[in-house]
Amino acid sequence: MKPAPFDYVAPRTAEEAVGLLAAAGGDAQVLAGGQSLMLELNFRTRRPSVLVDINRVAGFSLLDVADETVRVGPLVRHRRFESPVVDGPLGLLLARVARHIAHPPIRARGTMLGSLAYAHPAAEWPAVAVTLDAELDLLGLDGLRTVSAGDFFTGPFTTLRPPTELLVEARLPLLPPDAQVAIVEHRRTKASFAEVAVVAVVTVHDGLVSTARLGLINAADRPLRAYAAERFLIGRPVAGFTFADAGQVAALEDAEPIGRPHASVEYQRQAVAVLVQRALEEAAC
Amino acid sequence: MGRISGGRREDARLVTGRGQFVADLRLPGIVEAAFVRSDVAHGSLRAVRLDVARRVTGVLGAWSADDLPEVPVVPPPPNLRTARPWPALATDRVRYVGQPLAIVVGRDRYTAEDGRDAAQVDIEPLPVLLDPTVAADSDVHLFSGLSNVAAEHEFGRPVTARGAVVVEAAYRQNLVAHTSLEARAILVRPEAGGGLTVWCSHQAPHRLRDDLASVFGLAERDVRVIVPDAGGAFGGKSATFPEYLAVAAVARMHDRPVRWIEDRAEALAGGPRGRGQNQRVRMTADPDGHILTLELELDADVGGYPHTGSFMPFASAMVGTGAYAIAQVYVRARAILTTTAPTAPYRGAGRPEAAYCIERTVDTLARRLGLDPAEVRRRNHIPPHAFPYDSPTGFTYDSGDYTATMDVALKAVDYDGWRAEQARGERRIGIGICTYVERSGAGEEYGAVEACPDGTFVALSGCCSTGQGHETSFPQVVASVLGVDPALVSLVERDTAAVPRGVGSFASRSMQIGGAALHRAATRLVAEATERMAEHCGEPATYRSGRLSSGDRSLSLAELVAATGPLKVEDVFNPPQAFPFGAYVAVVEVDPLLGTVDILRLVAVDDYGVVVHPAIVDGQTAGSVTQGLGQALYERVTYDEQGRPTALSLLDYLVPTVAESPRWTFAETATANPNTPLGAKGAGEAGCIGVPPAIANAIADALSTEDVGDLPFTPEVVWRAAR
Repeated sequence: MKPAPFDYVAPRTAEEAVGLLAAAGGDAQVLAGGQSLMLELNFRTRRPSVLVDINRVAGFSLLDVADETVRVGPLVRHRRFESPVVDGPLGLLLARVARHIAHPPIRARGTMLGSLAYAHPAAEWPAVAVTLDAELDLLGLDGLRTVSAGDFFTGPFTTLRPPTELLVEARLPLLPPDAQVAIVEHRRTKASFAEVAVVAVVTVHDGLVSTARLGLINAADRPLRAYAAERFLIGRPVAGFTFADAGQVAALEDAEPIGRPHASVEYQRQAVAVLVQRALEEAAC
Repeated sequence: MGRISGGRREDARLVTGRGQFVADLRLPGIVEAAFVRSDVAHGSLRAVRLDVARRVTGVLGAWSADDLPEVPVVPPPPNLRTARPWPALATDRVRYVGQPLAIVVGRDRYTAEDGRDAAQVDIEPLPVLLDPTVAADSDVHLFSGLSNVAAEHEFGRPVTARGAVVVEAAYRQNLVAHTSLEARAILVRPEAGGGLTVWCSHQAPHRLRDDLASVFGLAERDVRVIVPDAGGAFGGKSATFPEYLAVAAVARMHDRPVRWIEDRAEALAGGPRGRGQNQRVRMTADPDGHILTLELELDADVGGYPHTGSFMPFASAMVGTGAYAIAQVYVRARAILTTTAPTAPYRGAGRPEAAYCIERTVDTLARRLGLDPAEVRRRNHIPPHAFPYDSPTGFTYDSGDYTATMDVALKAVDYDGWRAEQARGERRIGIGICTYVERSGAGEEYGAVEACPDGTFVALSGCCSTGQGHETSFPQVVASVLGVDPALVSLVERDTAAVPRGVGSFASRSMQIGGAALHRAATRLVAEATERMAEHCGEPATYRSGRLSSGDRSLSLAELVAATGPLKVEDVFNPPQAFPFGAYVAVVEVDPLLGTVDILRLVAVDDYGVVVHPAIVDGQTAGSVTQGLGQALYERVTYDEQGRPTALSLLDYLVPTVAESPRWTFAETATANPNTPLGAKGAGEAGCIGVPPAIANAIADALSTEDVGDLPFTPEVVWRAAR
């Protein structure tokens, strides 16, 4: 479990980093927190010719709030979100999510943007980005382009980002002040990946669900929005049976589980149904 | 023997990173090895081409079986006659994923792996066999012309009676990986004159020495095996593995020290594994729940080559009746080849498998009869007056009071309180009991004690700590007998050049046998010193706390040695096996919708005989309980249809950590081992034995079902049982 040989470069600017990625012709890997990449290098499942270490790029630790969005730079570690980074439901949701990510040593090194770029199907941040309709900025030699999180994730460990571009910013829109948030995660051990997890954001008026966003983690080969369940919820009463039915809709219409050694497709659908219900109950209470 | 507390001597070194493991050793000229391994479970080996690998920068050499003048073969373990040789490097056939095909040596591990990846391998796949019962009857033979059944034995006698109540069941013991923190590790330095010095993370250094000597045609004195600090073993480090032979062969040919450190991916893909047993049981009882007959069929998968794991089904058979007096018993046990990595004993080594089978079945019997499972056990326990008890399978249990131990556990857990909580019906609560009998220690062990002229003492032991704390506990045994400060006693073990003979540490034998041998040696040292003093002074002498008195003269042991010459007493002790026992109770709450199991309480009451160092023994209980939780809830080696392991890291092969530890209570009863002066029995494996059946019975109780599915009780398994 030792990496194959690679070159190492540590650029000081975003432009320099992008130039190095381009020069490698798609054969480079970006090193941010390294919590997944180092593992893959050691297993030799990735054999880049060059490792572009962005940890010395000025300004990449940016984290601020402007224009009703939270802007997150490439070196913002998971740990930064453990305490709310902004008042209101968004900061609360991010803090709750952050505490589910792996365990403290990983949260101290790993980054939100690294997690988005890696696109592990069981990772939390990709589903949060999809749920919140986040915008993602990709920088290449041809300049900056923006893609929506909903389009970004194309499969397990695959995204719209070609290896010659760098994910330089994620923008998470603030949630309305009356939004209620929850994340419910089902995992086998404290340090294991989620078997399934669900992110819920709802607003309620007069006892009826008025808006709903549901994100499914590890219920497909990529993060999913449970659009069918969201549509089902609108206008329905805040009640246990509503949430149970929404869980069934999410399990049968939204989830696209892939069988795993310890969790069949059937079981994963069951877990989605239960977790959607529980996430909604937690959010709405 | 008084109970001694306090910390462990070795901990300051180990917890501050100053331990010296095989990977930490520095020698001039050391090179590192990596193995080219089969990624096919069963196949004909057509070619291993290494010419490209040899040209990789930093690679110093690469060898397949064809490149060795003679391919070393793993010596079969004692008592296993087999014509199924396990070569150091595969010759014409591969029988498990991970089997070594070639060894590549590089100036460091990085380049060795670069060379490994450059090897070109051609294997023509053959059908795979993943289930032992299927393999036993298959037309596909792993060894041409030989049965896939490597060994088969019967125990007891065919059953002629039949009770009114018949319980039949089948269980599957999951294959689990040993997952010691440090996987296997070896460093071999060839010596001028043809000898070998070997540093190895191992449980039985003298056996490894003897095996290496016999394989390479050396005298035993020309092979020195040293076991440095070791990060656990659990039964997976007692064999002479093919990798070790390949490393030694290449070190001799290359004339440089060669080291191999097994990484986690190698360990999970093709390293040793434990358990793996198909069990079928038929138990009959009278309407009052008295068990009359027991029939067992045990089919163990022992992997592609029969080795130390082959004894496990027979170990299970021998304790198949558990803590119960059953008149008629018949067991058929088979060790069967499958196209998976060879098995080895794993903490518990046959007893967990047996305890699970009998304890699940007794619980089902209680459920059929509508009786409390504690009461059914009470009615069938071997009574205290029946010891020594000759079991129908051929063991003689030395001592025990099984019901008393169960009652301690029931009280500690508040059994009646939990039954009342369960009856309220608000939560899906289940209570599971296991009462077990195990077997610890076998064979002889060497121990010696020397009084030195400087007032210190040296204890020598043939045991071999892989983390158990011998540096602390063995000197305490000696100091206790001599009546001196334990700090004056140092321990020498884990070096075949310093300790003339030894068997090692496995089967919970260290304190039971090795500790007792030291106890006997120290006792005889006192007697010899007293005799010498009497001779020296010409009148009777007495001994007390390291000093000898005779008439008006008084000498310390050091002074006596200075006056009369060296004083060293050796002992080889070979007591009968011991039979520790205990009772475990688990209280769980099941979430039937997700299938998760929350362990509310776990009580372990073990009878290890006389306990020497309570903190060390508690640590053994905590460790074995945690590994028991692993087998019960998390761990299973999984294969795809081609027989390739699907979990190659600890992200996929889940083990419990301290974060998964439930609220537990440990207690003991202490029925002294009647067969040793120390009175200790084995104390290393109980949790692995008691926990899985207690958890399984608790889940079955929570779900009011007989069939809870197979180990491990993953959320999906429990969810299916709850439906």
